[in-house]
Amino acid sequence: MIVFENTIIGHHQPLISIESLSLQTGAIYALIGRNGAGKSSLLHTMTGHVAALAGHIYINGHEVHTFQKNSKLRAEQIAFVTSIFTGVEVLTLKAYVSLGRIPYLGALGRMRTLDHQIVDAALEQLNIAHLASSYTNQLSDGERQLASLARAFVQDTPLLILDEPTSFLDIFNKKLLVEQLQRWVASKANRTVILSSHDLDNCLEQGCFTLVLANKKIKLIEAPSKDEVLEQLEE
Amino acid sequence: MKHRNSYLIVFSIVIFIALLCMHLFFMQQGNYTDEDLIFWEFKVPRLLSAILAGAGLSLSGLLMQNLFQNPMAGPYVLGINSGASMFMALLLLGITPTFNDLSYVGGAMIGAFVSAILMFVISKRVQNMQSLLVIGLMLASFMGAFESVLQTFAAPEQIKQLYIWNMGSLQQLSAAQAPWFALIVLIGIALSLWVVKGLNALIVGEFHANQLGISVPKVRMLILFVTALLAGSTTAFCGPIAFVGLAIPNLARALLKTQDHLILILFTVFIGSSFLLAIDILILVLDPWMGLPLNVLTAVFGAPYVAYLMLKKK
Repeated sequence: MIVFENTIIGHHQPLISIESLSLQTGAIYALIGRNGAGKSSLLHTMTGHVAALAGHIYINGHEVHTFQKNSKLRAEQIAFVTSIFTGVEVLTLKAYVSLGRIPYLGALGRMRTLDHQIVDAALEQLNIAHLASSYTNQLSDGERQLASLARAFVQDTPLLILDEPTSFLDIFNKKLLVEQLQRWVASKANRTVILSSHDLDNCLEQGCFTLVLANKKIKLIEAPSKDEVLEQLEE
Repeated sequence: MKHRNSYLIVFSIVIFIALLCMHLFFMQQGNYTDEDLIFWEFKVPRLLSAILAGAGLSLSGLLMQNLFQNPMAGPYVLGINSGASMFMALLLLGITPTFNDLSYVGGAMIGAFVSAILMFVISKRVQNMQSLLVIGLMLASFMGAFESVLQTFAAPEQIKQLYIWNMGSLQQLSAAQAPWFALIVLIGIALSLWVVKGLNALIVGEFHANQLGISVPKVRMLILFVTALLAGSTTAFCGPIAFVGLAIPNLARALLKTQDHLILILFTVFIGSSFLLAIDILILVLDPWMGLPLNVLTAVFGAPYVAYLMLKKK
């Protein structure tokens, strides 16, 4: 569960203030807001990379600013996908996805059979198993985006945070992504997804909970209509 | 892929052992009388020198390429050797008059550490590869110039000593120093293996490594420390040797086609040692006709390869 208490978010100047908000497990939350509304700032504050200006954010009872000093604890709680991964020479897609298992590996970083199975299953789910031995610097942006998502899946954390996960995906993969996120949330107790997106239609079609970010406030709307959301954004 | 890499590692060990035997064989061919004393006082230290310097420089190059996220990084191009060299000159010309003192090794390591940290801080400000390399060269020539200034205060004997040392040589290691050198390089390898997970995560950048639970500042400090340990000690015992640290890790990645640092570390260590053994065998073989300094030969093979890498990258 994620709890905000009198939180003020921003860099130097307050960008968003949240008096009280709690997000339940077992759901997908779509964070929607106009350019510059502070979606990325909110996500980076939730992961403890940026300190909140005031107030508290708790993720499963852990205050997020403790993650700054304790990245191991964060890796157990949150998998975070940003949209920027440009690929690395001679790093295969499977090796990249396998990095998500690092928190579970011993000192020498060897993958066990179980780890291989988990990685292979994630590749299958996202339809990128055939690219397993391709080098990440030779893939398309969309393929890399799916690989980043697979990496987050195999990290097997209660909370999955995705910053613009669909920006490079085609219409079929956008659908696949939401389907797989729903599967992921349902497949284990206590799982939550928060994703920021400009892709309003896709979010609404799938009946996600919507967090609308406008006028320095956050409003949680369950299964809204498109007009409702647009109205909120324009206010 | 997995099997291919296992074969390549076994292959690198076989080559290493073969070259080790050849090196011993060619040293027997020299002008020495075959006495035990000469074997332990001269031949074994020279053999160890080649092995340890090759392993140490290559591994420090691999670590620096990881830290700087730049395949063109290395202890020589980024001025780490020069830092070690300058601090050694400072000690040599300033405090104690003999070379056979472990304090020089300490001095060289401090010099290497200082330049490594300096370059790392600079690398945070310039993101592109070319600028970083140019700054590395500037640092190296600045330190070289400073060394020359120091030399004007030195006695002719010291200048000669420094000049010879600057050419790079595998014959300066004494039998008493050899175990120390071996210990330092082994510690460097062990510490590198200890942070394999961190090295593997860092190839996708510090942000993501942090995200995967790696304590990035800790791993970064350890890499800088090990780099200084390896590049500093090698420079102290053998002089500033060029190209090995840059070329060997690139060769390893090109052959193994992996970013798994456990495999890369092992392969780099064996191939790096093998490379310097092969170079020294060449020096031994050519010795009756010409006495080539080490740095001339590493440049003959290393420079074209590095140029090729640059061209391939465009």
